[in-house]
Amino acid sequence: MSDPVISLRGLSKRFGPVWANREVDLDLFPGRVHALLGENGAGKSTLMSILAGRYGADKGTVMMHGQEVTFSSPAKALDHGIGMVYQRFMLIESMSVADNLALTVGKKYGRRGVDYEIRQTAEQYGLSVDPEKRIFELSMGERQRVEIIKLLMLDAEVLIFDEPTSVLTPPEVDALFVIIDRLRGEGKTIVLITHKLEEVLKLADDISIMRKGRLIISEPIDARQMSRQQLARLMVGRDVVLRVDKKEVALGETVLALDGFSGDSPSGGPSFNEVTFEIRKGEIFSIIGVAGNGQTGLVSAIAGLSRAGAGTITFDGTSYTAREWAMASAAEIAYVPEDRYQSGSIGSMSIAENFGLTRLQAYRSGLAGLLLDRQKMAADGRRAIGEHNIKVESSEASAGSLSGGNLQKVILARELTRKAKLFIAEQPTQGLDISATEDIWQALLECREKAGVLLVTGDLKEVLSLSDRIGVIFNGRILEIIDAHDGDRVDRVGLLMAGVRS
Amino acid sequence: MIRVAKRKQPLRYQGAVATFSAVAIALVVGCVIFAALGVNPLTAYTAMGKGVLSSVDAFSEVLVKATPLIFTGLAVATAATMMLWNIGAEGQLVWGGIFAAGTALFLFPGLDGWLLIPLVLAASALGGMVWSLVPALLRAKLRVNEILTTLLLNYVAIIYMEHLFYGPWRDPAGYGFPGTAQIPEAAQLVRFGGTRISIGFPLALLCAVFLYYLLKKSIWGYQVQVIGKEQRAAHYAGFNVTGKILTVMALSGAFAGLAGMTEVCGIHYRLQTGLAVGYGYDGIIVAWLAGLNPLAVPFAAILLGALFVGGEQLQSVLGLPSSISLILEGALLFGLFAGQTLARYTLTFSSRSEVPS
Repeated sequence: MSDPVISLRGLSKRFGPVWANREVDLDLFPGRVHALLGENGAGKSTLMSILAGRYGADKGTVMMHGQEVTFSSPAKALDHGIGMVYQRFMLIESMSVADNLALTVGKKYGRRGVDYEIRQTAEQYGLSVDPEKRIFELSMGERQRVEIIKLLMLDAEVLIFDEPTSVLTPPEVDALFVIIDRLRGEGKTIVLITHKLEEVLKLADDISIMRKGRLIISEPIDARQMSRQQLARLMVGRDVVLRVDKKEVALGETVLALDGFSGDSPSGGPSFNEVTFEIRKGEIFSIIGVAGNGQTGLVSAIAGLSRAGAGTITFDGTSYTAREWAMASAAEIAYVPEDRYQSGSIGSMSIAENFGLTRLQAYRSGLAGLLLDRQKMAADGRRAIGEHNIKVESSEASAGSLSGGNLQKVILARELTRKAKLFIAEQPTQGLDISATEDIWQALLECREKAGVLLVTGDLKEVLSLSDRIGVIFNGRILEIIDAHDGDRVDRVGLLMAGVRS
Repeated sequence: MIRVAKRKQPLRYQGAVATFSAVAIALVVGCVIFAALGVNPLTAYTAMGKGVLSSVDAFSEVLVKATPLIFTGLAVATAATMMLWNIGAEGQLVWGGIFAAGTALFLFPGLDGWLLIPLVLAASALGGMVWSLVPALLRAKLRVNEILTTLLLNYVAIIYMEHLFYGPWRDPAGYGFPGTAQIPEAAQLVRFGGTRISIGFPLALLCAVFLYYLLKKSIWGYQVQVIGKEQRAAHYAGFNVTGKILTVMALSGAFAGLAGMTEVCGIHYRLQTGLAVGYGYDGIIVAWLAGLNPLAVPFAAILLGALFVGGEQLQSVLGLPSSISLILEGALLFGLFAGQTLARYTLTFSSRSEVPS
């Protein structure tokens, strides 16, 4: 193998108290595809964003051809030939392909030269795209090609793809792979950030696996020698320690039952298909899966925020069709949403006021219930602060001033006070430190004494620590429902998450 | 290295900073203009101040101007609390005037004041409301941008009003002057002392207090604030956003309609040219100068009113164009947005460069 183009040494990056990257060493070689594998939040994107100049590292060095370099902006990184194709394309939809490219490469070629260069570059690398078309007329695959052409016209040597297949249809994925193969043939260095094992096995020459900010395998390994099973194990890890004391709770009546529940994600994300399961009072039922496998749409439909396409849902003994359920407001379901900053809370409002978000009915007072009982709201806020050990001076402090863990406790406390029969917690501990995580776990375990709990998460440790039963979701389907007492559940869940059925 | 970075926490006195810098920037811009016109800025500002404060009469004119401004300021602030831009207060004001004049002149011309005034009041609010509901429905049902619709409907409203007082509603005994007949005395608002201040002014103050408590103390107000601050949270909480767009715009239009009533029944006593002189647009500045706080709206309105009255003094005393007050008004708005933007940033001193995530 030739000398590395890029060498990262001891790279570390911290966001607040959380280390997104810790002591990462990584070499990238010309003419090779390097897959960077890991779960959501493992630190892959952060690491590559440092290389592409979006973030500055807190520690460590980036070397290019043996010379130390620092990039203060993505433009500086591009000057050195390092470019990234982001998941969200950076294109102006109402402008033509050529105009878009002229924005970034116009200085180099002149506006007139751009058209010619686009055709040249497109031909050389097999990237067919019409320079006259406007971006909004293009498919996602074509837009991605425009981004690739942009980097190539700037003479990028290192091309970083961030989850490049997540927005593509299967034929477009195949086309992209052909393009990447061609780029490799031209001696480019390719980094593929992904959590899809098939892609890795199909394309990659080298593999690095990240977990919790660290590189688990820090030397390049030959992809073709690895099976999907081995990769899945490496990715998910086996350092699962159960530290939670679970009290036995008697199972009660069935709270929620889904039958053949199918639908799309509200924001156009992946759909969910034929989901069938039931949750009883006294248990935590978990849905685990790698992000983007349909769980967002599923939860949104169960919570009544969007309408599922088909199937029935039975809640507290009453059956609804998908349509009826969306109409029958979800007043009786407590729900801790994944997005705690923009959905679950309002940063500029006080903790007390945040209690009103889902509990308005409880604060109606005076004048035919048209007035807001602010005193009761403040009292609830104060009680939550005491009961859940939330670190803040008063319930009048703004929610935005809280740390992620304390904010999550406020949301959790609010939802617990609704005393609902079904409690949904979506990625409840994502990004939280250990002590906040344990507090929230404890609260969820206590909650199941009074309700059925639906836990939706991508965190294997969380699922194994808390659940009574585990449903693994992959490509919108629940592949299997596993009992938490199952002996080899650790391996099975990990494999199922990667879509491997044993 | 010194960098400009976004504040993670909003500045505590963000509103005050913005308002203060707005006034400061307007004063500085004024200095430049006066100097360019060859007038000592100090002389000019003294003339403006004298014009406003020299007599009860002068200051009463400020409150006369402030009255419709409070209403339109409240109208804009109501909508903006939910991040809706009601640029149509001008047209809603006109419709409030049309409904008020129509009620007083043609519907119930013979009624006593104690009955007629409330009817006229309600009619004007209804007029503004109806006009604001057109863009509200378009926005709520078809997602049509309300900035454009509210703005463009202003012209429709003004032209229709002109059609009325040039055509079917023209005073037959008016010697051909464009305008309706004078409204009956019973519909004319009571004035204080010898001034032109009518009960419209205390009514405006009352509306400001009402809006403040409505937003702070009612379930509806809470929901409106949530929707304005975070759409996604409102969706998560299951709030009826469509319904709120309609009610918020209706209330906004009603306030603007009342402005038309105070002008027709408190100042002009008829529908005529001069009703649509831009109070609706000035309301935008009033609302933002007040930081969307209803209780601050009257103060912002009085400040702007003083600027207009002072501007007229420039003309009569120093022979300067009175349109200078329009320039100062513009500078006020620019200063306001500049202040708001600046208050969102902070200077940081760091050794390493980093793009905030």
